[in-house]
Amino acid sequence: MMPGHIVRFAVAIVAFAILARLPVGLDQAFQFDAALALIWGFGILSLVLLTGYAGQVSLCQATFAGVAAYGAGMTVSSMHGGYLLGIVIGVVFATILGVIVGLPALRLHGITLAIVTLGIALVFDRYVFQDHIFDWFTGGTGGWQVTSADLLGIKVDSSQHLLAAYDVLLALFCLVSVLMVNLHQSGAGRRLRAIRDSEVAASTMGVNLTRYKLLAFAMSAGIAGLGGSFYPLIAGSVSPQPFWVFTSLQLAAIGVLMGVRYVPAAALGGLFMAVVPDVLTRYGHGTFMNRFNYDISFDWFQIAVGVLLILQLILLPDGVWGDMRAKLLHARGAAQRKPAREAPA
Amino acid sequence: MTMLRVRDVGMRFGGLVALQGVSLDLNRGEILGLIGPNGAGKTTLFNCISGLLNPTEGSIFFESRSLRFAPPHERARRGIARTFQNLQLWDSMTVLENLELPIDAAGNRNTLSDALGLPFSHYAERAAAERARAILHVLELDPFVNRLAGDLPAGIQRRVELGRAIAMRPKLVLLDEPAAGLDAGETEHLAELLRTVRERFHVSMLLVDHDMSLVMKVCDYIYVLDFGKVLARGKPAEVRNDSKVIAAYLGEASPELSESGAETVEEPTIIVRSSGPVHDGESAEAAATVVPAASSETESQVLAARGEPLLEVTGLAAGYGRLEVIRDIALNVHAGEVVACIGANGAGKTTTLRAISGVIHARSGRVRFAGRNITGSRPEAIARMGLAHIPEGRGLFPRLSVEDTLRLALDSTGSKAHIEAAYDVFPRLQQRRRQAVGTLSGGEQQMVAMARAILAQPRLLMLDEMSQGLAPTIVQQLFQMIHVFRDQGIAVLLVEQFVQSALQVADRAYIFEHGSIAHEASAAELRRDRKLISGSYLGSASAGEETAIEVAANGNGHVVHPELMETVSMRMPAEIKRALEERAEREGRPAGAIALELLEEVKK
Repeated sequence: MMPGHIVRFAVAIVAFAILARLPVGLDQAFQFDAALALIWGFGILSLVLLTGYAGQVSLCQATFAGVAAYGAGMTVSSMHGGYLLGIVIGVVFATILGVIVGLPALRLHGITLAIVTLGIALVFDRYVFQDHIFDWFTGGTGGWQVTSADLLGIKVDSSQHLLAAYDVLLALFCLVSVLMVNLHQSGAGRRLRAIRDSEVAASTMGVNLTRYKLLAFAMSAGIAGLGGSFYPLIAGSVSPQPFWVFTSLQLAAIGVLMGVRYVPAAALGGLFMAVVPDVLTRYGHGTFMNRFNYDISFDWFQIAVGVLLILQLILLPDGVWGDMRAKLLHARGAAQRKPAREAPA
Repeated sequence: MTMLRVRDVGMRFGGLVALQGVSLDLNRGEILGLIGPNGAGKTTLFNCISGLLNPTEGSIFFESRSLRFAPPHERARRGIARTFQNLQLWDSMTVLENLELPIDAAGNRNTLSDALGLPFSHYAERAAAERARAILHVLELDPFVNRLAGDLPAGIQRRVELGRAIAMRPKLVLLDEPAAGLDAGETEHLAELLRTVRERFHVSMLLVDHDMSLVMKVCDYIYVLDFGKVLARGKPAEVRNDSKVIAAYLGEASPELSESGAETVEEPTIIVRSSGPVHDGESAEAAATVVPAASSETESQVLAARGEPLLEVTGLAAGYGRLEVIRDIALNVHAGEVVACIGANGAGKTTTLRAISGVIHARSGRVRFAGRNITGSRPEAIARMGLAHIPEGRGLFPRLSVEDTLRLALDSTGSKAHIEAAYDVFPRLQQRRRQAVGTLSGGEQQMVAMARAILAQPRLLMLDEMSQGLAPTIVQQLFQMIHVFRDQGIAVLLVEQFVQSALQVADRAYIFEHGSIAHEASAAELRRDRKLISGSYLGSASAGEETAIEVAANGNGHVVHPELMETVSMRMPAEIKRALEERAEREGRPAGAIALELLEEVKK
C-alpha cells in the first residue's frame, strides 16, 4: 500500500472511533436519526461517485436505496434469510437497476438524463413500491416487518440494538469512503473524471465510455443500495415513503449544497438531511424570550434547503465542503510558504 | 510504407456534403499537412479518422486494418491519438494526471484493486507517473506538472494536449490546429517541438493548421481540401505555387464584378433615412430621406476625405477566457467608405468586429463611433447608435418568418424606416415574406440578415464572412449590394474570405496577421499586387522573412532587410505609411526601398 492509503485508513479509523461514541447518550429518536444520517450519507456518497467523479446526472438515487431496502426486507422476512444475505441481495438488486438506468446515459447528457432518471424514480415510486402487482417484493401495504436480526452474530435490530446497527453502518461508511478516495486518486478514478471533463477527449484517448459509464452507474447504485439495505434494520419496517421521488431530489440538492465532488460532503449532507428536520419538529415551536411565540413546521426544511442551495450556488460554487477545503488548503499553503520565504533572508 | 490509407471517404450531414471522395495516404514517419479554407472539411476528416464520426461512404485503413467498426477508444488503442482545435483537456485534473490517463487508459488493472490500493496498482501507477514526467520534460512543461490543466494559458494547454496525445504511445498523432491562438514566436517554437517529438517518440503526424508558416515548415507533404474534396497535393513548395490553391484561398479574381455591378442592379433608390440625432457633418448627408444611387458616390467620397473617421479604433485588445486573440488593433473607417479586413483564419478579424460591436469586452484600447466613445457600451446601445453587425453565421432566428424577422428589427431598434424599403432592395424577400427563415437558401438568409441590418438605418455596417458557404453567383450579387450600401452613405467594414471579390468593392484593406494588423493598404494597390496577400495566407518558404519582404521586394526584386521591413509594415503610423506609399507610387519604386533610404539618411 502507498503511504496515501495508510493515511486514509488511519483517518477513517479515527473518524469511526469518534463518531461511534457520538449518539451513545442520546435518546432513541436521535439514535435513529444518526443511523438514518448514514443511510442518506450513502445516498449522497453514491452521487459523489456518479456526479462528482463521472459527471453523470441522476435523480433516482433514493430509488436505488429503496430497491435495496425492499430486497433486504424481502430476503429477511419472506425468505427467512440472514440479514447479511439480505444486504447482499439488496445491493445486487440496486446494482442491476443501476446498470439499466445507465443504459440511456450512454446517449443522454445533462437535462435529458436528469428527466429520464426522474421518470424512473416516479415510476418506481408510484407503480412498483405502491402497486399490488409487486406485493411479493414490497410486502404489501404494510411493507416488510423486520423484528429481530443479527449480522455475523451481532444483534442488530431496531428496538433493542439500534446502536449496534449504527456502528456496523458507520464502519461500512468509513470503509466505502476510503475506497472512494482511493479510487479518485487511481487510474480508474481518473478515467471517470476524464469522462466528466471531456467525453470526446476521453474516448479518443482510449477510455471505453460504455464500460466506464455503466460501471459508474452500477457502483453508484450499489453504494446507494448498501445504505438502503440497512433501512429495514433500523426502522423495523420498509415503506415507500422514505424512497419517494422527493427524497431523490433532496439527495441531489443537498449533495450539491455540501459539495458533490467530495467524499466528506456526503457525511455532512446525510447528517443535515436526517437531523435537521427532526430538530425542527422537536424544537421548532415554543416561546422565544418569554414573548415571541414561534412555530417552525417541518415544511420549512424544504424551503430552507431551496434557499440554502441558491445561496450556495452564488457564494460557495464548489459546495460547503469544497470551499471550506479550499480555504483550509490555502491557509495551510500560506503558512508553509511563509517560513520558506524567510529562510534565505 | 503506408500507415494510414483513406479511400473515397464521404461524409454527409443531411443535405450538407462535408466530404466527398477524399483519398489520402500517410507513410510511416511522415508529417502530412492538411490545409484548406474554412469549412473545407478538415476537422470532419479528423473526426472520421479518430472515430468521433463514421463516414457515410468509403473506408479508412490503419496499418492495413479497416477502422470501420472500431469505436474511438479502440482506434486510440491501435495507435491513433489526436488533439483538438477547441482545447479538450481535462480541466479539473492536473497536468500530470492528464498525461497519466492515456498511459493506462485501457484499464488493464481492475477498479477494485485501484480502490483497495493493492501493490499491483501501485506499481502501475508509479510507472505511469514516471513516463508522464519524462514526456513533460521533453515538452518543457516541468514547471506545470502539478497545476490544474484548466488554469493554464492556452499556449501551454496546447502543448499539454500534444503531450497527452504522445503519452498514449501512438503511432499516428492527428494535430488539429496546434498553432491556433499562438503568436509568431510561439508558432516558431511549436514547429521545432513537432520535429523533436517526431524524432524522440517515432510518431507520424497529420497536421491541420491555418498558419501556413508552420505547415510549410514542418510538413513533408501537403493535401489541400476545398469543399470536401482533395483540391491538390504535393510537396510544400509545389502546393504554395499551385494556382488552384491560391484561388481557393483568395477566391477567383473576377474583374467583371466591378464593371458589371452597376448594370445588373437596377437603380436601387432605397433606404429611408429618417433624420436621427445629428452628431456631426457627415450625418447631414445621411439624413436625406431618399438617396439616389449614383449621385451620392462622389459626395460620400468627399466626406470620407475630410472630417474625423466614423469609426476609430485604437489599441484594441480582446479575447476569450485566457486567450488573447487580438492586441493593439488600430483601424478607422470614414463615412461612406468600404473597408475590408483580410487575413488567414484565426488572425483575429471576427474578434475585432465583435469587440467593436460590444459582443465581447474590449480588454484595452478605445472604440469611437460617430464622435462618441462606445468602448464598453452594451451591444444593443451600440446597435441603436447606428452600428450594425451581421455576425458570422448571420445570427438569424430560423423559425421566424422573413417578415417577422424584419418587423422585430424595426421594433427593437425603434427605427422609423418602412419595411417596404427592405423589400425594394431585396425583391426576392418580398416573395418569401411568409416563409420561415430557416427554410430559405443560404443566399436568401444572408439577404434577410442584410435587410434586417439596413432597416435599423445604420451608419456603419459590419459584415462578417458574408459569403461563407454560398455559391459564387450569389456571392457576386451580395457584393453588388455593398456598392448599393456605399452609395447610400453607409460605411461598410467587411471581413471576407473571398479576398479578390472583397478588394473589388473595398476602398482600403487591413491585413491581419496573428491577432494584429500587419499592413494597411489601398484596395487598388492590393489588387495589383496579389503576392502581398497570398503571403499572409500561404506563407513562404523562408519563413520569418515572409510577407514583409515580398512587399519590399515587389517589382524589381530589391530585397530589404527583414527586421527593417517589420518596422516598416507594423510599427509605422498609418499617416507616414500612407505618405510612403504615395511617394512609392509617384516614383514607381517599392515602398520598402524608400523607407530604407530614408532610414539611412536619418542614421547619417
